Amino acid sequence: MQRWTSQPLKVPLELAVPFVRADLEVEGVEHDGPSSYVMLYFNLPDADEHTGRDVPQFAGAFSLFAHGSCWGDPGHCEVPSGPVTAFDRRPPHPLTPINITVRVTDALRKVTNGDVTVTMLTFPVLGSDRDESLRFSRLTLLTYD
Amino acid sequence: MTVQIVVRGAPAVGTLQMRRSVEKLLPGDLAVLRQAFSQAMSLTDNRGFGYFAGWHGRPFDWCQHHTSLFLPWHRSYLYYFELSLQALVPGVTLPWWDWTTSATIPAGYTDATDADGNSNPLLVTEYTVYQSGKTRKAPPRTPGQNPVPPLPYGDRLAAAMQDSSFADFQSALEGIHDDVHVWVGGIMQDIELAAYDPLFYAHHVMIDRCWRLWQTQNPGAIPDPSLLDLALQPNGMTVRQTLDVTRLGYDYAGTIDQVPGTVAAPGAGAG
Repeated sequence: MQRWTSQPLKVPLELAVPFVRADLEVEGVEHDGPSSYVMLYFNLPDADEHTGRDVPQFAGAFSLFAHGSCWGDPGHCEVPSGPVTAFDRRPPHPLTPINITVRVTDALRKVTNGDVTVTMLTFPVLGSDRDESLRFSRLTLLTYD
Repeated sequence: MTVQIVVRGAPAVGTLQMRRSVEKLLPGDLAVLRQAFSQAMSLTDNRGFGYFAGWHGRPFDWCQHHTSLFLPWHRSYLYYFELSLQALVPGVTLPWWDWTTSATIPAGYTDATDADGNSNPLLVTEYTVYQSGKTRKAPPRTPGQNPVPPLPYGDRLAAAMQDSSFADFQSALEGIHDDVHVWVGGIMQDIELAAYDPLFYAHHVMIDRCWRLWQTQNPGAIPDPSLLDLALQPNGMTVRQTLDVTRLGYDYAGTIDQVPGTVAAPGAGAG
């Protein structure tokens, strides 16, 4: 299991209209390795494999259903930086990073100070030869009113 | 959340094929399903099981995950695969595994042998990536041993069904879908190999059924209109063509009951 904690994200407590939904967007998730399971906590940087889901800081979780190790020739699993030509209308490479949305409405309502850190625990699946943190480019907290 | 359909009278030409819960299959139905998979697995050309498994993962990698095409692509995929089975065993349909009520993998997919003592083709023990020429031992499924929530996922599906936009519903349903894959373990937890496990199809028929049920509750809620005329790989079906399962010749039945009518059904014997 690997743990990673984000920088603080602003929570819109000052809004006159309370949010009705909150999403945590995990953006640019790389999925070229083994599958894994990810648990998310608000303001609980010491969360570990024993913390579980029955704590108020538990925000959500998701499985990363991933591709496993590369089975092709060298370069097979390298995501191209863009289309080959302006006329390239092929679908994106299968390993193009993805975005994962986690609904965190109830957990965010329990946050009473102005910002929140996200602690992410990444658990490898059985048989995995890698124990690593989720690889992603950005974390976004979105609320809707 | 079950569509109750009772069909009486002789089936007409063009009658919809009904997909059913694997838990409700009679022993004869399960035998037919196993026969279809067994025959498909014996074919190494582009009519066979390996070819269609290869659409999803190795070697073709045409599947769509965490894109706006997740549900349409998998519906068109199941449609083609089911037709390939029906070409071998007429009338067979793919059943669904209802992980909203079941906390285990259906016995039909875990029994080592069938009633006649033959090996069960629905229990994956080895796989051969299409045209690789190499058969490998499949790691056994490890249901419930990965750190995902235990089945069943009825509450989670009920929450997803409350979404009113296609994008929100698809995203929520795909999250549940991902957890089920990882819950099963074995090659089901690997996108590249998952479709080489016959349980994959029972899982995805359930996903497709959930979309069908959601569609009945949200008529008119469709994917982004800019996607509707997009052709899906590799069969060229458009997203629009996937929206109505009845136009694809199937639907989801809670129960089915049929009795003969007053004239012989097309294709029925004289006796």
